[in-house]
Amino acid sequence: MKELFHSVGLISEKCIGCTKCLMNCPVEAIRVKNGKAVIYNEKCIDCGECIKVCPYGAHVSIKDSLEDIKKFNIKVAIPSVTLYSQLGQDVSPQMINDALLKIGFDEVFDITYACDIASEVLKKDIEKVDKPAISTLCPVVIRLIETQYPTLISHMVKMITPIEISALMIREKYEKLGYHNDEVGLFFLSPCPSWATKVNSISRNDNIRIDGVISIDEVYPKLLKNINKNIDIENKPSISSTGLMWAYSEGQSRAIGIDDYIAVDGIKNVIKVLNDVENERLSNVKFIEAYACPSGCVGGLLLVENPFNAERITKKLIDKIDFSYQIDDHVVLESKFIGNNRKREVSQKLAEDFESAVKKIKMMNNIINMLPGTDCGLCGSPSCKAFAEDVVKGLANLEDCKFINGGLKNEG
Amino acid sequence: MDELLNVKYDVASGDFIRGGEASSNIKKLLQQLGVRNDIIKRICVACYEAEMNIVIHSVGGYIEAKVFSDRIEITAFDNGPGIENIDLALQEGYSTASNLAREMGFGGGMGLPNIKRSCDEFYIDSKVGEYTKIKIIVYLK
Repeated sequence: MKELFHSVGLISEKCIGCTKCLMNCPVEAIRVKNGKAVIYNEKCIDCGECIKVCPYGAHVSIKDSLEDIKKFNIKVAIPSVTLYSQLGQDVSPQMINDALLKIGFDEVFDITYACDIASEVLKKDIEKVDKPAISTLCPVVIRLIETQYPTLISHMVKMITPIEISALMIREKYEKLGYHNDEVGLFFLSPCPSWATKVNSISRNDNIRIDGVISIDEVYPKLLKNINKNIDIENKPSISSTGLMWAYSEGQSRAIGIDDYIAVDGIKNVIKVLNDVENERLSNVKFIEAYACPSGCVGGLLLVENPFNAERITKKLIDKIDFSYQIDDHVVLESKFIGNNRKREVSQKLAEDFESAVKKIKMMNNIINMLPGTDCGLCGSPSCKAFAEDVVKGLANLEDCKFINGGLKNEG
Repeated sequence: MDELLNVKYDVASGDFIRGGEASSNIKKLLQQLGVRNDIIKRICVACYEAEMNIVIHSVGGYIEAKVFSDRIEITAFDNGPGIENIDLALQEGYSTASNLAREMGFGGGMGLPNIKRSCDEFYIDSKVGEYTKIKIIVYLK
């Protein structure tokens, strides 16, 4: 099997083998082995919770550096819409784009254009999938569904994300201008680590290749130094209000003007809502936009401004803008993405054949009965149940349980 | 054919917060067995509805799942009050749920019809003042 790329990594030297990440991983993808955390790639959904909780800075997000743009003749920035909420309410998108040019980019693509196109595609896609339709903007939510809720794959819209749309449009433009594809470097300025994983997978297609994901917290200090508040504000903003809505939770639904939607943010809340979808409790809901981060993309791990203020600033900006792109024909564009949205189902099965799986479950149940049920984490697994599963999978030894090993288990 | 596995979960009356846990445990079990997703989905829906029926309507009971090589059997048993008119209860939209349950989005009168729709075999047996027992079978092949 091809190894999965992940944007959450571990600096082994910094890890002291505490159980913080182990206990806080929402999908039980972390174990502690020989005093160091280990991330199980097939389970990891790139949510970044471990980065947030690690007291030692051992969990890090893997991303590219601003230095990497120098490798290209033409350097194009695709800033996430969240960028425009990061430098306070008095710094306009034009000032930010101007500063991006000063720090080395040749072009700043207006991603709100791609958002407006994505809105049109989304409107149609909602009609094509099982209800309630689930947005596929947040890469973490996609991975969560693929790994934990495969029965809900038929609810996921086939939508192309604004990042992919941007990449296609930029690549087409420079091709027409006579540039070779490899001369042009596209860089996504990202609010969260999960995009590095997503971009890695979409970039296998050369026509939407993105050459790097740079975190917004890295460009932030450089932008601060280069903001010029005296640039010509009279220049009407060519940025779309509906496109900006994609920055926060509920924004997609507002942008497409749908009713009977649910906007859910925070990975644990998303899990609750997906459980309800699975039990068919939400049959009156048409559309669910779900984000791993609190408040949506403005709550991203790689942002500087606090999510709630960032949401306020975004909304304030939206109120000031009286402009949206008119999208007439997106069908042509859509056809270029066919086959790009392959869903990767991940199986939870314990064995290839049914009989062996039954045997393993019996073994697992026997082991669970031997364990204290305190979920202490000392064995390196996040819970007694997870430990029992690890043992039958051959990923842990029964002796790793301190209670069985030291005879500490309370017999009674 | 022989029963391969058997799990049983108590379900408490009126516990809307924990109601659904039995179904999610059974879902996990089926995933670990490698049961096909469309089949898991049908079992999940039936099992969840049956579990919530115990929470909403009964004084408490249990959900039991039996695994065979060719089928899954789910039994939902509660200790009363029983169903007076089973034919009526099986009609879509018929409900005896409390106002509170309805406000929470339950009690739409679709519980039993949904269960029936989701499974291959459906059995219901009830005695007023004593019990209700629902057995559903979903084929694996």
